[in-house]
Amino acid sequence: MGAMLGFVLSIFGKLRFIDGLVLTLPVTILLAIVCLSPWYTCRALPLNRTPFPRVLLSHVVAAGLASSLVMVVVQILFGIGARFSPALADRLGSVTPVLAGTVFLFFLLSIALHYVMISVESSKQAEILSREAELKALKAQVNPHFLFNSLNSISALTTVDPKRAREMCIRLSDFLRISLRLGEKSSIPFGEELSLASSYLDVEQIRFGSRLRVQNNFDPATADCEVPPLLVQPLVENAIKHGIASLSEGGEILMSARVDNQRLRFSIENAFDPDAPAMRKSGFGLVNVRNRLTARYGSAARLDIQVENNVYKVVMTLPV
Amino acid sequence: MTLRALLVDDEELARQLLREYLAGQPDVEIVGECGNGFDAVKAIQELQPDVVFLDVQMPKLDGFEVLELIQTRAAIVFVTAYDQYATKAFDAAAVDYLLKPFDETRFQTALGRVRRRLAENSPAALDAGQLKNAAKMPGQFAERIVVKDGTRVHIIPIKQLDFVEAQEDYVAIHSAGKTYLKQQTISSLEESLNPSQYIRVHRSYIVSLEQVSKIEPYSKDSRIAILKSGAQVPVSRTGYLRLREAMES
Repeated sequence: MGAMLGFVLSIFGKLRFIDGLVLTLPVTILLAIVCLSPWYTCRALPLNRTPFPRVLLSHVVAAGLASSLVMVVVQILFGIGARFSPALADRLGSVTPVLAGTVFLFFLLSIALHYVMISVESSKQAEILSREAELKALKAQVNPHFLFNSLNSISALTTVDPKRAREMCIRLSDFLRISLRLGEKSSIPFGEELSLASSYLDVEQIRFGSRLRVQNNFDPATADCEVPPLLVQPLVENAIKHGIASLSEGGEILMSARVDNQRLRFSIENAFDPDAPAMRKSGFGLVNVRNRLTARYGSAARLDIQVENNVYKVVMTLPV
Repeated sequence: MTLRALLVDDEELARQLLREYLAGQPDVEIVGECGNGFDAVKAIQELQPDVVFLDVQMPKLDGFEVLELIQTRAAIVFVTAYDQYATKAFDAAAVDYLLKPFDETRFQTALGRVRRRLAENSPAALDAGQLKNAAKMPGQFAERIVVKDGTRVHIIPIKQLDFVEAQEDYVAIHSAGKTYLKQQTISSLEESLNPSQYIRVHRSYIVSLEQVSKIEPYSKDSRIAILKSGAQVPVSRTGYLRLREAMES
């Protein structure tokens, strides 16, 4: 950069290339340091949240200040140079405006570069966040409590009803296998989501027996919609954990899915105990599903919660 | 001596497993089974079992709340799939805890501990309030208070709490115009509450910050808080400092 600047000066001013180089090396080092300063101003004035005139004004003022600072130093250097060679001093005087202009432009360029860096950084950050949400979903997927309680049920069944014990082993394996397979993909047909949820319900059905009753109303047209994996099962798990499991006599889970206006709408409702602590009513599962919807679709997808007459209803809508 | 056992778990299969393991023990008699916390409180009171196998996550009341509401000399064995937070609490007060799934040998070890504990004839006095505090995660506070009144169990949502008054071995809990008595120390109750919302304004009083409408001077060193309900609660000098700090933050 120093050599370039020196070259520019040797063209515009009547300097020899080597003179330019000697002069500009210290200036370049100073400029490099000064050009780091937009790190602060660019973060203080994010492009998408600051009115453009304000951004422009602030940066032009900053660039003016920065080039003045550099020029003051340059003047001092010229002063020193002039002592050794008065002829050089004469030639140096003529390049001052060119140098000031170049420094000014360099500073503006550095501001632009900073904005580019910030946007690259924040898109990386968003990617990391969405990746983290996916991982959390995977972990929540195979909830250890679900696993241990299911294994306990199997252990109880082995002596009294070996056939059902085997059936539960197989259902549990199905669920784990599908979870692992789906978790690796970035999107899957909604039909597979429903089959994962149903293998989960099969296991819980054995555990909860007659306390768990399920009714489905799925429009076949939803089966081919592409959706991110592991959205439905956490909602089903939430309905069981915070709903059915809190009721000694159990209750019903109602699920429905349909496509409307290019939007997939899935709803699940369950009875719950209004006296149960709030923690039990809305789990981390819902938060995770919502975060993943936002990461993927922004405001185009929604997760709404309605509580009415001791019925807890979650409605998920997303574009397809 | 025959051991009288009560099984408490909301899952039929989990109780089934306990029944099966106990069937091999000629000196153990199963006196009852419960599928939720309310029934457990009632059964423990009525049947006075020697040992209770108690699940933690259940409908109505959880295992800790059940223990809070009963006076029993029974040995408590927790049976649960939850190990992350409760281990500490179990160590403190329960005779043993069984992590689902568990095998028969492990079950017999627990039963052995129960027998030894009962033979010593000194079941550790169980401070259920303390147990519950030990079991909660940092930053997590009670969302409801459970109180037993004869055979009835009241569940008071924490948002409806006005103030609490210490009365010897009891606390009087004032909520929505009603007063409930609970056998618990005011300090152990205080510990379970969110300290930024529920302020110990006096040695014998905790008040809900939301309910305070004004504070008036009473004597040289003390003040009185007037609540939205009209109730008056004494405020000590240090209590006033705490209250002011909480109001400012």
